[in-house]
Amino acid sequence: MKDWKLQPARDLGLPAEQRWRSLHRENGLLETITQGFWRVLTRGYLCTYHRLSVSGREYLPAAPPMVLIANHASHLDALCLAASLPSALRERVLPVAAGDTFFETPTQAAFSAFLLNALPMWRKNCGRHALDELRRRLIDEPCGYILFPEGTRSRDGEMLPFKAGLGMLVAGTAVPVVPCRIDGAFDACPPHARVPRPKRIQVRIGPHLEFADLPQNRDGWEVVRARCEEAVRALAAQSTLIAQPTPQETKRRGT
Amino acid sequence: MSDHFFGFRKAFDHPVTIGIAVTVAALLAATPVILAILGAGGRLDAKHRDELWKRYFSWLVLVPAMLGPVLLGAAWTIAGVAVLSLACYREYARATGLFRERSISVVVVLGTLVVAFASADHWYELFLAMFPITVACIAITGIFPDRPQGYIQRVALGVLGFALFGAALGHLGYFANDRNYRPILLTLIVLVELNDIFAYIAGRLFGKRKLAPNTSPGKAVAGCLGALVATTALTVLLAHLTFAGTPLDAPLPLLVLGVMISVVGQFGDLVLSSIKRDLGIKDMGAVIPGHGGLLDRFDSLLLVAPAVFHYLAYFVGVGAGQPHRIFSGG
Repeated sequence: MKDWKLQPARDLGLPAEQRWRSLHRENGLLETITQGFWRVLTRGYLCTYHRLSVSGREYLPAAPPMVLIANHASHLDALCLAASLPSALRERVLPVAAGDTFFETPTQAAFSAFLLNALPMWRKNCGRHALDELRRRLIDEPCGYILFPEGTRSRDGEMLPFKAGLGMLVAGTAVPVVPCRIDGAFDACPPHARVPRPKRIQVRIGPHLEFADLPQNRDGWEVVRARCEEAVRALAAQSTLIAQPTPQETKRRGT
Repeated sequence: MSDHFFGFRKAFDHPVTIGIAVTVAALLAATPVILAILGAGGRLDAKHRDELWKRYFSWLVLVPAMLGPVLLGAAWTIAGVAVLSLACYREYARATGLFRERSISVVVVLGTLVVAFASADHWYELFLAMFPITVACIAITGIFPDRPQGYIQRVALGVLGFALFGAALGHLGYFANDRNYRPILLTLIVLVELNDIFAYIAGRLFGKRKLAPNTSPGKAVAGCLGALVATTALTVLLAHLTFAGTPLDAPLPLLVLGVMISVVGQFGDLVLSSIKRDLGIKDMGAVIPGHGGLLDRFDSLLLVAPAVFHYLAYFVGVGAGQPHRIFSGG
């Protein structure tokens, strides 16, 4: 017989509010049920109102760990990626969301923890410590993350340069990084819009990258950053959605 | 029927109910005065005083939450017990790691809900049958992951969880079928909680020898004995009033009831302490400020509920003369 291994929840003993914001938060049956309902609702919404289409699912690893990265132009992005996952991965891939938008007030934190199953990333003082904890969980549990390496939503639909934090997370590990491209989400729900518009959204998943042989230092992070950005840009070039030039682009072309 | 389930107008029909409600309200009102006097007299250091105040504020919420459903009606009582059972199971599952085995948790939750239904329906056979049925279902569910490593652990943890929180605690809800459930349940809840408080006070006043230093370093033999005397005396008085004219209303049966509530209550406490020590954690959760988790507060009730239930059933019967199988017919 195997020895008993009793492993209390890693967030045991935290008061509710701290628990919602904890990077060690572990779901129970209650969260599994509420998040299941939430996923059915959001998937239904995305598939009907935005006619969400997903290609390249075959590139997804069968099991965690993994990091899904994509361009970020809208609050719909994380929902679109979560809706693209097969059922075996859905509960094990967690969006990493901006702490100051999604975890500021207790209500926001409860919503993000209970329904989105998101983990907070505090943009103001996001130190090595938080990233180390995220990496430990990624590998030890193992779980998956949905990350937007631009660090913020693009205000004009154009992809911003990626940030180095992604490199700190995955450089020197065998965790596959899956590049994804989301098209149409900016038109459907740009940062300034109050109500989403019924525009078509397309998710394209690409072959994963691995950075096991890179060092955990500035050079390594920079390589990760550059290669990931390039991979997402390469996917963008294959878009089958008719590209609707943004006003900025039109202006740029005119000059 | 709706009178049975929702008849809050009958809440204070029984003199024992009135007595308990008034006493508890008086205690809650008097406590801040006592704490203030102790604080002013310099008998308490600041840290200890803050801790006691925190506990007192928690009691202000806990007492209505515990006594309110019993006063409101049988439906609230049964629903309240079911919610308490599920919340306790959640804490236990998170502490033991059983919560990672979702399918076993689903079985325990369903079993607990059926126990609540059997209580509401007044269907004793189903109520009893749910224990072996749920145990069988947990043993079967444990097979499904096709992962024999850890089978005994997950099944055993599931069975212990259901036994303590679904089955044992579920007896509290089944009491609601008795005509006299209000005085019985109020007596039980208040005595078990007072038993803890008596043990704490007696232990602090006279405690020298530890009761079980490895299991629960805070408990003293004197506290245990003090609680035994005080709780038994109170039980004899209250049960004599509630069960006047029944076979239970004789010196020996009343005395045994009192000893049972005090001793089994303290054993329940020690059971939870053992679980916590084994896991290496101090509290089961952080739901109640000053107390810890729900289980840190309700541990003493876990074993008392079935013990007293079957003791009363032997002497006077629980739910005698009330309609059976209200919803399921038959």
